[in-house]
Amino acid sequence: MKILVPVKRVIDYNVKVRVKTDETGVDLANVKMSMNPFCEIAVEEAVRLKEKGIATEVVAVSIGVTPAQETLRTALAMGADRAILLTTDVDPEPLAVAKLLKAVFEEEKPDAVIMGKQAIDGDNNATGQMLAALLDLPQATFASEVVVEGGKAKVTREVDGGLQTLEVALPAIITVDLRLNEPRFASLPNIMKAKKKPIDIKEASAYGVDLAPHLKVTKVTEPPKRSAGIKVESVGELVAKLKDAGVI
Amino acid sequence: MTMSQAAENVQNQINELPALLTSAVKELKPVRDAAVNFAKAKVVVDGKIDRKLVDKEQHILHGLAWYQTYISTLTETAKWANELASAGAFTEIEANLCVVLFADYLSDIAAGIMMTQVERIRPTDLGIKSVAQAAIDGEICQKIIALNTQELKTRTAELIHQVQGRATIENTGLDETLEMVRDTFFAFANEKVKPFAHEWHLKDDYIPMEIIDELAELGVFGLTLEEEYGGSGLGKRAMCVVSEELSRGYIGVGSLGTRAEIACELIINGNDEEQKAHYLPKIASGEILPTAVFTEPNTGSDLGSLQTRAVKEGDKYVITGNKTWITHAARADLMTLLVRTDPNTNNFKGLSMLLAEKERGTDENPFPTKGMTGGEIHVLGYRGMKEFELGFDGFEVPTKNLLGGVEGMGFKHLMATFESARIQTAARAIGVAQNALDIGLQYATERKQFGDYIYAFPRVHNKIVQMAAEIMGVRQLTYFAALEKDTGARCDLEAGMAKLLAARIAWACADNALQIHGGNGFALEYQISRVLCDARILNIFEGAGEIQAQVIARRLLEE
Repeated sequence: MKILVPVKRVIDYNVKVRVKTDETGVDLANVKMSMNPFCEIAVEEAVRLKEKGIATEVVAVSIGVTPAQETLRTALAMGADRAILLTTDVDPEPLAVAKLLKAVFEEEKPDAVIMGKQAIDGDNNATGQMLAALLDLPQATFASEVVVEGGKAKVTREVDGGLQTLEVALPAIITVDLRLNEPRFASLPNIMKAKKKPIDIKEASAYGVDLAPHLKVTKVTEPPKRSAGIKVESVGELVAKLKDAGVI
Repeated sequence: MTMSQAAENVQNQINELPALLTSAVKELKPVRDAAVNFAKAKVVVDGKIDRKLVDKEQHILHGLAWYQTYISTLTETAKWANELASAGAFTEIEANLCVVLFADYLSDIAAGIMMTQVERIRPTDLGIKSVAQAAIDGEICQKIIALNTQELKTRTAELIHQVQGRATIENTGLDETLEMVRDTFFAFANEKVKPFAHEWHLKDDYIPMEIIDELAELGVFGLTLEEEYGGSGLGKRAMCVVSEELSRGYIGVGSLGTRAEIACELIINGNDEEQKAHYLPKIASGEILPTAVFTEPNTGSDLGSLQTRAVKEGDKYVITGNKTWITHAARADLMTLLVRTDPNTNNFKGLSMLLAEKERGTDENPFPTKGMTGGEIHVLGYRGMKEFELGFDGFEVPTKNLLGGVEGMGFKHLMATFESARIQTAARAIGVAQNALDIGLQYATERKQFGDYIYAFPRVHNKIVQMAAEIMGVRQLTYFAALEKDTGARCDLEAGMAKLLAARIAWACADNALQIHGGNGFALEYQISRVLCDARILNIFEGAGEIQAQVIARRLLEE
């Protein structure tokens, strides 16, 4: 069984993002970039399936700027076998990403795509679903447990009402949620091994997919700053103040 | 001036700086040479170093060591800056930190260097007053010193605050693999160590075994070992990076690898195939936790006077004597035990190193092995592994466990580990210093007084800027020593200098980060109180600052 794991290079989740002064976007200068945390969970799940002897090969794929190689190298250090990078200087929207992943899927012919449910930069939560639609394959999103058996995957999903379990025939697209697993830290021997694993670098433009953005970002602003609160002496005063504020 | 012109001026200044730093370093050559010659004239008689004179002139000799340390730090920093610049990675923050470091150290070279808070080496003491003054008053050095304005420091403080999520403020110039190693251990320490370290310290608890097991799985204990022994075959710079990041979480965690590193180096130097094949993989996997057993109640820096006896009886040695300051002794499985095998000697020649196995102790019964007792020494900081004094009375070690199989080699074997141990200790100090900076910065950007975050005040942010600049400099000195070690070059000079300076920086960072906290820093509940205690050990263990300076000076006199 071969698993394809798309991974995205994003601003590290520890970073408090700064908005550019001209409000056109987020300031990326000197900012730490890392693998999207949901993608890390996807890599971990794929590597665990390999360690259990269920998967035979884990291929990581990323779309983005050349330094996304570092993100792929992290996936390799976690245990992926090889990696593919489709380079582009454009920040592609989910549909373009899904179309590129479709092309990679058709080249690689994996038995499953395991990917993060969303990236923490755009928070779109769309690429996995779009990929499934484009490939006309089953999808199981927000996985909190994945069991692969006999050509099928049993996927437990976190939904509003509780847990829902789906069975999908493979190949399928599985997007993972936060509580699926706790990703490992790459060990020193595996970091060394990752240096020798191949990263196949291709131009994204070679796939004939329209990468141009179709959404127009009009403005990016910081959330409003919290203003200082006041202290009240009694419940009566509190109620009066709330009435003044028009909230009760 | 338009905005773009201002930006262009800044960029021009950045572009010109690396060459300027190189020129400044060249200006220091006559200063250094004059200092060495002055010291030589004081202690060399008929072409030989006179031991009594060396003792008498300690202030001058140790001062010389400090001058060399400053000059070497600037040399390595300039080299790194030029390399970064040619890779297009020398940006405003690196440039500004270079200005701060150079301006400060250059001024000190003319005015005198702080050896401890109560001792300064003055240029007059070293007979270099006029040559040092001339070098620093020259156009090149003055140009750098003039750049170090409050505006530059305030701008640097702003840039430091913007560096978020990244492990280091400056681009360290290390390769992608080492950066991945750093990111991994930075993340590990942030998640598994940092949130718990203060509680371990306050309760005077051991570091949990689960952490030790995880470090073993991550390959920390076999970091520099060859793959055939279960190691990762990484170099000493990787060891530095791992030690830095783990020590940044908690010095105790960053120090677990030290024992493995020392034990492995000893066993490799002993070069007994059977000992190597048996012990190295087990140390790498964490199955065997080693500890270093050298110091005695009356034997600290003067190891030649060591008294613990090993008497050969058939196929075993019987050990009698006392040891002290043994870190992690109760939980260790293997002691690298320095003993006197030749009773007819009273110097280092009669010493041998034994690979003495013991049973791992528990809290109820810390020292279950026959012939061995131990008592805990309660300490100010550097907890987490616990310190012990040990008594040996009829403790047995099989003769096959004599390191390298030859008696009388103990001191030589030990000496060979000093370089690595000092490089690693410098890295631990950098980690502690960086942690102090992190904590100080966080407090300063969260605490409001007089209507603003205290970080907005120059006397607060200047402290953070100074810390960042010195950490950057000593990092480059340490990585240089590590690289020398990897190439097999003798590097006791560089390793000693890195350790000497890093220890002072760690203490200064901890002390000043606490100062930023005001009264809160004095409260035990604030973690900076622990970092202050932890930082204090760095100038004492693995060669006290004074011994380190002595070793450095001896090397300079031998030139």
